[in-house]
Amino acid sequence: MFFMSAEFQTVVSALNEGFLKTVQLFFLTLIGAIPLGLIISFGSMSRFAPLRWLTRTVVWIIRGTPLILQILIIYYVPPLMKLFTWGGGETGRFTAVTTAFIINYAFYFSEIYRGGIQGVPVGQQEAGQVLGMTKSQIFFRVTLLQMIKRIVPPMSNEIITLVKDTSLARVIALQEVIWMGESFMKGNRGYAGLIWPLFFTAVYYLAFSGIVTILLNRLEKKLSYFH
Amino acid sequence: MKKIFTQKLLSFGLAMILGLSLTACSTSSSSATADSAESSAAEAESSESSVAAESPEAASAGSTEETTGETGSTETDSASGDSDLAAIQEKGTLVVGITNFEPMDYQDENGDWIGFDADLAKQFAEYLGVEVEFSEITWDYKVMELEAGNIDCVWNGMTLTDEVTSAMATSTPYCTNYQVLVYPAASAADFEGLTSLEGLNIAVESGSAGEDASEALGASTVPVQSQANTLMEVAAGTSDAAVIDVLMAAAMTGEGTSYADLAYSVNLNEAQGLESEQYGVGFRQGSDLVDEFNAFWAEKVADGTVEEIANTYGLQDAVILE
Repeated sequence: MFFMSAEFQTVVSALNEGFLKTVQLFFLTLIGAIPLGLIISFGSMSRFAPLRWLTRTVVWIIRGTPLILQILIIYYVPPLMKLFTWGGGETGRFTAVTTAFIINYAFYFSEIYRGGIQGVPVGQQEAGQVLGMTKSQIFFRVTLLQMIKRIVPPMSNEIITLVKDTSLARVIALQEVIWMGESFMKGNRGYAGLIWPLFFTAVYYLAFSGIVTILLNRLEKKLSYFH
Repeated sequence: MKKIFTQKLLSFGLAMILGLSLTACSTSSSSATADSAESSAAEAESSESSVAAESPEAASAGSTEETTGETGSTETDSASGDSDLAAIQEKGTLVVGITNFEPMDYQDENGDWIGFDADLAKQFAEYLGVEVEFSEITWDYKVMELEAGNIDCVWNGMTLTDEVTSAMATSTPYCTNYQVLVYPAASAADFEGLTSLEGLNIAVESGSAGEDASEALGASTVPVQSQANTLMEVAAGTSDAAVIDVLMAAAMTGEGTSYADLAYSVNLNEAQGLESEQYGVGFRQGSDLVDEFNAFWAEKVADGTVEEIANTYGLQDAVILE
């Protein structure tokens, strides 16, 4: 039986190792980008014009260039300019990739947040002011929860995309699951010329995005009582 | 009025946070470099003063003494300069840039790097008195990886093409190699003995010696990410044939692989009237590691280590022993 063979088990253990990196990258990106995106969205809604324009310019740059290019720039440009180096080992590559993902996703999230915040009717803020609430009271008690409910569907979209975008990390040789799948074509751990491991990685992505989808749907249901 | 004021305050606060974090990043890195510069300066000073204390003659004798004797002072001098050797000995590791390339660099069942290149890289690190670290890289970016200092050498069955020799400091060649045409075994009769590839779609690794050879022989090329991917192109029928290194073709086609129905034969170097290619190790331009490597290699050839390792990996015909 193929699923019990030594070949299958060796490949799966290598793919698991790669998948662990994928999952770590996924969660670290979310942990970093979700709060950072909120800060950025305040910047792009600021009434202080220079800050607003600065933030919107950076949003344009980050959204207007491919993530794969941003990863290359973040990893290679600082050491080439002798500013600092991430290090050539696995840790250095992982840190650089995580940084690139957090920045990229934070700017995308910030626009979703901005839409969510600006979608709450102005009348509610005015009502808050009439009741004598401070600006931060209005944000945290009136706007924030409604914003969260509004942004769940577009955020789910981005988060599912993130699951698959993690595969871009292999451009600077981070050994995530697709890299591991490809490695058996050239030869890895005593097996060479195997094609199936690359296609088998789809199982990992489908399982992972399936779980994420279920969790996000639950979250959406929980928030539905706001209507 | 009040709400506008608080909002401005909030946005100023955020701007401050952004600004502070930026300056914090830049100062932390600059202070780190300042520290290291300071410490190396201090070391240099202390070694100088010890020299002066030991022998006043030495200090006055000057240049000859510096070059022959005081290893301590030359080491610290060069560490602050651009000696790769000193930098590597200071950090204690030689980072070897590789790709997964049987039989040169590949992983055994336990995930440890072995292969002709990997085994000798371990010995080279030992020779330099440092630890070895293997770092998988994306082959297209090998020069950038070297220049950025992410790796210290490219040691991965690298063909010494003009592109390579103009962008890196390379060692003396240690292995010969030639490009072969890989095609479906079923249609072998159409491919054997070809001297021109005109009219064929040939899959090649982007930036490889095989790409150059195919273009020189008039093929239309399909550049893909790795040599392994070229075989998938042929197996899937999306390309007529592939051009890869003979060492790789030998390891990856035929019985016991996913490419049992592929075969190879044509020596494209012969077809072009070219000499065989040669493999070398690449270092940063101007690196003093090249001389260290050549001395190391001569020593290991002389004591039979190289031949022994070549036999282990079936490279006895390819390795250069002189």
